[in-house]
Amino acid sequence: MTAIARERDVALVDLVDRLLAGGVVIAGDITLAVADVELVHVSLRALVSSVSSLERPPQP
Amino acid sequence: MIDVLAITDAGVTVDPPVVAVPSDGVSVLCTPSNGDGVDADALWRHEELLEGLMKLRPLLPVRYGTRVPDEAAAAAAVAGRGAELMARLDHVRGAVEVSVRVRTAAPAPPTTAEHSGVEYLRARTAASRAGEGVHEVLEPLARDCRLLGGAEPLRAAYLVEHDDVDAFAARVRELQGEHPELAILCTGPWPPYSFSEAAS
Repeated sequence: MTAIARERDVALVDLVDRLLAGGVVIAGDITLAVADVELVHVSLRALVSSVSSLERPPQP
Repeated sequence: MIDVLAITDAGVTVDPPVVAVPSDGVSVLCTPSNGDGVDADALWRHEELLEGLMKLRPLLPVRYGTRVPDEAAAAAAVAGRGAELMARLDHVRGAVEVSVRVRTAAPAPPTTAEHSGVEYLRARTAASRAGEGVHEVLEPLARDCRLLGGAEPLRAAYLVEHDDVDAFAARVRELQGEHPELAILCTGPWPPYSFSEAAS
């Protein structure tokens, strides 16, 4: 993964945090399908594991 | 169907396809729904749209995926909440959200040996203290902050004045230099997603 792609993925974690849990909740329909949310979570989990493995300090 | 993007001041003008629907002393910014699926590109397009709108006016993002049948429904959805939303708009006016996360090397999960469990807890405690330390340094530089929880030692949002963003970022870089053992991840500026509702 390039440095730029990694930075974008780090930011994607923060973006997903904010879009799915932040913002004003108004009396509309949240029409984001459950399957879509699960898809985002699954891809996010994959992403988080790849980010954390990249960030792990080198082993002595 | 239309997507509800954000709440902003009354009387603003916006460029198509965004429309500003007046309701109860505020404007509700909406766009026609494009039926996008949810993938990373769709999320970034949404973010870019909000960032463009944020350049010209303070705004409160609305929860992603909020969809209503028409403009009348968008207006009805905020009717009666104008005063509360104006107060929130005033709270974020002139400021942006900055995200900070602290990650450490994941401690090895405990094995059956008793001392491994103790070491694991010790590592978890040290990581938690490191997160608190970073937060204590950054909190005074922000107008407001929210701790977002989760498994990481720190996962936080800071509401930072426009003019203080560079100083905030510089302090984060100093912390990164002072703590090479931590991964301190800072992104932004974001629209104030985490400050759109009063603290619970």
